[in-house]
Amino acid sequence: MPPARPAGLRGEPVLRFALRRLLTAIPVLWLVVTLTFVVVHAVPGSTVDLLDNPRLGPHEREVMRQHFGLDLPLHVQYVRWLGGIARGDLGVSFLYRQPVRTVVVRALPPTLLLTGSALLLDLLLGIGLAVLAVARHRSWFDRVTTVLSLGLYGMPAFWLAGLAILVFSLKLGWLPASHLHSLDAASLPPAARLADLLRHLVLPAGILGLAGAASTARYLRASLLDVRDSRFLLAARARGIPPWRILWIHALRPALLPLVTILGLSLPFLVSGSLVIEVIFAWPGMGRVMWTAAWARDIPVILAVTLLGAVAVIVGNLLADILYAIVDPRARSW
Amino acid sequence: MGTAVRRHLLVPILLLLAACGGRPAPPPALTPVPTAAVSGPRSGGTVVVGILTDVDNWNPFLVSTSTAEDILALLYPTLAVEQVDYRDHPPSFTPNLAESWEFSPDRLQLTFRLRPGAVWSDGVPVTARDVVFSWKARISPVLGWGGSELQERIASVTALDDRTVRFTYHFAYPYQLMDANDGPIVPAHAWEGIPFETWERVDWSRHILSAGPFVHASHEPQQQIIFERNPRHWRKGHPRLDRIVWRVLPDQSNLITQLKTGSIDLMEGIPPIEAEHVRQHPRLELIVFSDRSYGYVGWNNRNPLFRDRRVRRALTLAIDRTTLLDTVLRGFGRLGVGPVLSTMWAFNHELEPLPHDPGEARRLLEQAGWRDRDGDGILDRNGRPFRFELLTNAGNQVREDICLLIRDQLARVGIEARPRFIEWGALISRLQRGEFEAYVSAWREATQVDLAPIWHSAPPGEPTMNYVGYSNPQVDRLLARVGRLSTIEAQKPVLDRIQALIVRDQPYTFLYEGERLDGLNTRVRGAVINDATPYFNVDEWWVWDDPS
Repeated sequence: MPPARPAGLRGEPVLRFALRRLLTAIPVLWLVVTLTFVVVHAVPGSTVDLLDNPRLGPHEREVMRQHFGLDLPLHVQYVRWLGGIARGDLGVSFLYRQPVRTVVVRALPPTLLLTGSALLLDLLLGIGLAVLAVARHRSWFDRVTTVLSLGLYGMPAFWLAGLAILVFSLKLGWLPASHLHSLDAASLPPAARLADLLRHLVLPAGILGLAGAASTARYLRASLLDVRDSRFLLAARARGIPPWRILWIHALRPALLPLVTILGLSLPFLVSGSLVIEVIFAWPGMGRVMWTAAWARDIPVILAVTLLGAVAVIVGNLLADILYAIVDPRARSW
Repeated sequence: MGTAVRRHLLVPILLLLAACGGRPAPPPALTPVPTAAVSGPRSGGTVVVGILTDVDNWNPFLVSTSTAEDILALLYPTLAVEQVDYRDHPPSFTPNLAESWEFSPDRLQLTFRLRPGAVWSDGVPVTARDVVFSWKARISPVLGWGGSELQERIASVTALDDRTVRFTYHFAYPYQLMDANDGPIVPAHAWEGIPFETWERVDWSRHILSAGPFVHASHEPQQQIIFERNPRHWRKGHPRLDRIVWRVLPDQSNLITQLKTGSIDLMEGIPPIEAEHVRQHPRLELIVFSDRSYGYVGWNNRNPLFRDRRVRRALTLAIDRTTLLDTVLRGFGRLGVGPVLSTMWAFNHELEPLPHDPGEARRLLEQAGWRDRDGDGILDRNGRPFRFELLTNAGNQVREDICLLIRDQLARVGIEARPRFIEWGALISRLQRGEFEAYVSAWREATQVDLAPIWHSAPPGEPTMNYVGYSNPQVDRLLARVGRLSTIEAQKPVLDRIQALIVRDQPYTFLYEGERLDGLNTRVRGAVINDATPYFNVDEWWVWDDPS
């Protein structure tokens, strides 16, 4: 399903359009962070009570509560926090006792590596499988990929991850089951270090990408089947263009349009990572940061990650609209 | 309340989640241990420790987990080392950064002599100035260090010369050395210029020094930490290991897997259900020791259901705790008796665990007016059935199983317990507000015995850990008295009396005294692992197989 054409894009320079969209996004962002602020404060339990530190007695926890400002009225905490955001200060993490920015910035690259590779695999595999399935529509290949992709789509990631670790790490011993690097990766030459990183990437990115590819393939297959019967393809066939060319070029291009939207919308996924996969594979990314922060009620970190996610959603939507207009001339007028 | 608490802990969500069920795969590429060929300790090699959480901060005054605290203690040691000999007397101490110490005749002053050979990893000697500076950090309100409250009994800390430092106390009490020693010694020459107010904004990984057996070599956040042998360590020939590496693995079942495959050598907190697998593994040793914790059911003493002491006693008699120990905990632990662990010097040896006696339980309940009048199998009184919600934190398999077992056993005396598992934060918040009927949890007991935080009926609004609302004026008076007694000998009879009263009142059902199970690869030799820290004698550890 292609998205509705970006309202207002018609007759407006693309830059101005983008700017206007971003400005109107500010109230949305404010709403998101405000709601999150209210919700995380409404959740029972506080960092101070949850800290797994046997040294902290009730009085010491009280001192800490005051230190973090958790004893202040909620609106005072809110104004303080918003004031910090306005100045570009995300605050200090309750758990790490370090600036939130440090915690988040350090988790971003590993997440981008993981989700970026997963997305790449998702697209390559998804498109390939869909086209092959349509080329052999109703063949055994089509049926098998249908069943497999539905199965993969339905499998919980943690289960798939456990299975993959069992088979590829424990039984076969081919791939490492966790972490970014091997123990002694730091002493390896650059090429070997890269190879080591890639080996560690295979399982987590593979599982994330495979699950994504399953849905991409299902999606694209339906879209390709729709296009397949259109008249322009009939005309192409009549002109004697070879079937592979019709499928891979003429049919695929219009069928890919909805994928552009998906691509734009996957920006939030790219920056926020995968909670389950990152935890299982000990991948030091944003998903892990959020997971730990949620358990520990590390409010400044939760708010910062939510803010980042909200920004990614808005920018992703905008990108999707612009990309869509770029690939589909019908949707633009600049 | 004015009394201090130390190392009291709701043993939380960490000791849980036993995932893998079946037999482990035979470890590939492992050679049998040639026990006979192993001679004396040798130097070199690496030990890899698996941990669930990373070091959260490189300043020991800002860390929030015990994992991080234990690791940082290798860089920033204490003046002395607390021993685990607390069975017959409070723990004794052995010299560490301090080579000796001495009390003044009135016991109001304690003077430490620092070890002449102790130096920081940048070559600067460890001096009395470091001790004074570290004490200032302990008591700084901006840092909010856990343990700061105990320091209130210390009036001042002064450097007499470079190697001599004196602690002066407001009054004499049994734990003066323990309190003086409580806290890491950090480098004044390197950190003094950074005001405490800005410590949370500092990247402490750039300011790491060490006066311990190892120096920090590298840290990849959420991945791994590498420490290397400290060539300047005062103890010559130690540590024996070249390196110690911590791998961060947030998933417990993955941690167990890596222990079995030999990717990691040591793991803390093996779930009881995995214990047999580890014990039977040819390359692993299961280390079992008391972890100073006890599990209990807390009955809300304010609730009409549990207000009567006879009822609470009946509940304890109705629960077959031996079965609980044998099944849920796989036999790892002992029966709980009272508020002081039976392995602790302060324990009242006249007390014994209450027996499992459902008949007596029924009789006590009947005495308290609980009878099954409507014949529905559940006791009732004034038209109200004996039914309540039994809470514990979701995800802790051991506690969830305990709740189910208790439900079945109470059903046999006509009481309906309804287990409910809620998230840890939500549970604590309900406990603090007293909004519960009963819950299953655990405490870890300090080596400094202080019963007041849990058992004193604190005035409303005071922060307390007496969630069940236990209130016995006699116990309150005795608790106040014990805090004023200056010697262990004077305290012991009062402590005995307090324990007897609490056991009589049964505000809790004391279920079990816990044990911790650690898994260690047999290639690691000479390791003493105990409830003080896994790295208790880390400078003695050695490995037998390293090619170097």
